[in-house]
Amino acid sequence: MPALRTIRTVCPRNCYCTCGMLVTVDERGQIVEIDGDPENTATGGHVCLKGLSYARRQTYPDRLLTPLKRRGDGPAFDPVPWDAALQEIADRLGRVRDGHGPAAALYYEGSGSHGALGGLAMAFWRQFGGCTTTYGDLCWPAGLEATRLTYGANLHNHPRLTPESRLIIVWGHNPAETNVHQWRLILDAQARGATLAVIDPRRTDSTDAADVHLRPRPGTDAALALGLARAIVDANLHDTAFLAAHAHGFDAYRARLADYPLAKVAEITGVDEAAIRTLAISYGRTKPALLIAGFGLQRHTRAGQSMRAVALLPALTGNVGLAGGGWQYANLASHCLTPLPLPPEPPGMMRAVPVSQLAGHMESLDAPPIRAAWIERGNPAVQHPAAPRVRHALSALDLVVVVDQFLTPTATLADFVLPAKTLFEEEDLVTAYWHPYLQWRARIFDPPGDVKPESDVWRLMCERFGFDTHWFPSDRRAWLQELLPDAHRHAIDVLRSRPLDLSGHGDIAFADRRFPTPSGRVEFESAEAAARWGVEAVPSYVPLDEGHASTRAGRFPLQFLSCKTRDRIHSQFGNLDWVRGVERPHVVDIHPEDARSRGVTDGARVAVWNDRGRIELTARLTPGIRPGVVHVLEGWCHEGDADVNALTGEGLTDMNHGATFYECLVEVAAL
Amino acid sequence: MSAGFLLDLHRCVGCGACVLACRIENGRVTTAAWRRVLPLNLRRYDAGPTYFLSVACHHCDEPACLRGCPSGAYEKRPDGIVIHHEERCLGCRYCEMTCPFGAPQYDANRGVMSKCHLCARRVDAGRAPACVAACPTEALTFAADVDTVNAGSEEPADIESDRIAETRRYVPGFTDPAGCRPNLRFITPAGSTRTARFDALAGRLRP
Repeated sequence: MPALRTIRTVCPRNCYCTCGMLVTVDERGQIVEIDGDPENTATGGHVCLKGLSYARRQTYPDRLLTPLKRRGDGPAFDPVPWDAALQEIADRLGRVRDGHGPAAALYYEGSGSHGALGGLAMAFWRQFGGCTTTYGDLCWPAGLEATRLTYGANLHNHPRLTPESRLIIVWGHNPAETNVHQWRLILDAQARGATLAVIDPRRTDSTDAADVHLRPRPGTDAALALGLARAIVDANLHDTAFLAAHAHGFDAYRARLADYPLAKVAEITGVDEAAIRTLAISYGRTKPALLIAGFGLQRHTRAGQSMRAVALLPALTGNVGLAGGGWQYANLASHCLTPLPLPPEPPGMMRAVPVSQLAGHMESLDAPPIRAAWIERGNPAVQHPAAPRVRHALSALDLVVVVDQFLTPTATLADFVLPAKTLFEEEDLVTAYWHPYLQWRARIFDPPGDVKPESDVWRLMCERFGFDTHWFPSDRRAWLQELLPDAHRHAIDVLRSRPLDLSGHGDIAFADRRFPTPSGRVEFESAEAAARWGVEAVPSYVPLDEGHASTRAGRFPLQFLSCKTRDRIHSQFGNLDWVRGVERPHVVDIHPEDARSRGVTDGARVAVWNDRGRIELTARLTPGIRPGVVHVLEGWCHEGDADVNALTGEGLTDMNHGATFYECLVEVAAL
Repeated sequence: MSAGFLLDLHRCVGCGACVLACRIENGRVTTAAWRRVLPLNLRRYDAGPTYFLSVACHHCDEPACLRGCPSGAYEKRPDGIVIHHEERCLGCRYCEMTCPFGAPQYDANRGVMSKCHLCARRVDAGRAPACVAACPTEALTFAADVDTVNAGSEEPADIESDRIAETRRYVPGFTDPAGCRPNLRFITPAGSTRTARFDALAGRLRP
């Protein structure tokens, strides 16, 4: 038998699971096996197809192994030595700074790979004199803020308690496709007799396994939540003892429910009144009941208020602070690393724009305008709202540097493409947002070819400019140890044998019923929400500006959703041949009724458009989608994938600067 | 003994982890995809459930590949695993024609057939096959003798009318046209059971 070694590490992708991994390598340095780390009791002894695909991705023929420089103004790139690349980049960045000031340089980091070392870029930019960065998030910030305003913190029970639940409501979430380890635990709960209800406008692999499926119109979740609450309170199934002891503003909330008789809620949401009442009564009567909300219902302008309305249901029924119950949105227990040691921020020279409005700001920023961009761990040219405008803006810059493992659509717009390390080529600490574990990412291989970890690239950039380089680690392990929270400062060795549970509260969140909100209670009424975000203190349903009932729906009557599935994380993984072999097609799902009235047949080429853009793709007729809604999988990975963000707009969520991908009206026509 | 696979059609989400795990385990031998996932009703017509068949070689009791092989390249082990011995293979592709499941696949680069060997080396060492070990929902399992877990009937299952979870030999989308007696068993979806149960519960609770 050849000599094998097995190394514990972690998958750093922007994914719920953040799987612990055991990677087995042979004596020639080839990956021969990837298993789940059973010590991570949330993800258990398995990874997913994406985690397995690292065996292919690590040595994929398309991987970039040397810096590339654009040849003239054409589409081709030539390999270039690091010295020459960094010298020219430094010269051109210097000219941008001299001509316009440091904030003319945009530093953009995406969510493509998680790790503490990514923050070292700021050791360069702060010494550079500043730059323009982004704030907010494309994905989930409204739900985070809604949860914080309601419960005081984004914490939830350890996932391994899921099987103890007797009723699970999954809302705006598709764990069978996007959180498969959660799905295993939900199936275990079902096998033990739990009832599963899923709320989603689409039929998905999750809804197909559910006992109950409610299909509201997109954007009407606040009304549905208030309707469920109304039915619970009308049946006197709210937990009066819990509310008396732990609720703030319940009377105002209860008064608000008077506005939501079920007949009205059914009309708004398109969900049958009896189905709403049945689910409400089951939820009111069943303990412990777990409510799991996804990101899907907070990707529109009413996101935060919708999420507040939904997040209050566990408190209404007293399903907080008990095993098998709770509100599950995000668990930030592991997000407690010490901030990186960095040079001081140059006063007044750091500028930030909301990441969801990158295109608009790149077009319009003045004093100074954006003239250069450095892009890491992201693919904004296809993954951002209004993506064609991002591409146009990038094309007009004096300098674009992209760091990536592959020649992505963003990289093809660059003047220089720098080859990025993989998850197996630099140590790091990786936090999670579904389980409470901090995990160690091991360096298993030396970077191949001319690949350098980004932390080394930034050190070299500092050297070019004569900046202080002592901020960069000489010993990464020792440097990372300094980031551990005080109570765990010596756990760096422990991390090699198991993940570190940083929940601090045991497996049950809010077991002590202490809520770090202004009132110290669960806030049904939030003065902070009103003051900070200008929204109503008690959530209500407000129709979307670009919703099914808006005047705009006269021109573009179909609500367009661009959801996620199991074979990619946005634009990652789908480029690999192994993954393409099992991928789901990028077609537009349309209900047969909507298709018939437009003369669209199954398999026909269609145009999907609005006043922001137009894409062409193949139609798939399916009763699995609500009439009035169309759906295309997002994530541009290869030719033939849909440029869904040609259609999306740059709206902002009502709180916390999120994107509004799912507030998008379109029309469809046969070609 | 009839070694083989059990597939829980309720737990399988068709993710393809089994397909990739097979490629990692066997990728140095072949570029063929020995394991495949066949989706049924991805358009999700209301008349039927959507489910996924993760299939490879079924290590049949009466393997058509073995019967159809002129060079004796196939071996049926005492534990039931059907092994293809590449060094005896002529590359005539008869097995490709006789197997009704498409399990043996031709490798044009090397001029020989190849197929799933149920990770015999792993099984001999007491480990699960790679596809089974990788399954994130634990839908796919290995059985040293599928008949000891088979409580099902010979009749094709009508999944819509199922009221209890049980193992089945055949489901819509998977039959045995050539009498090979494949060693794949299905645990059929119990979703309709739960739906019925929920309805009953809800009926009692309705005010």
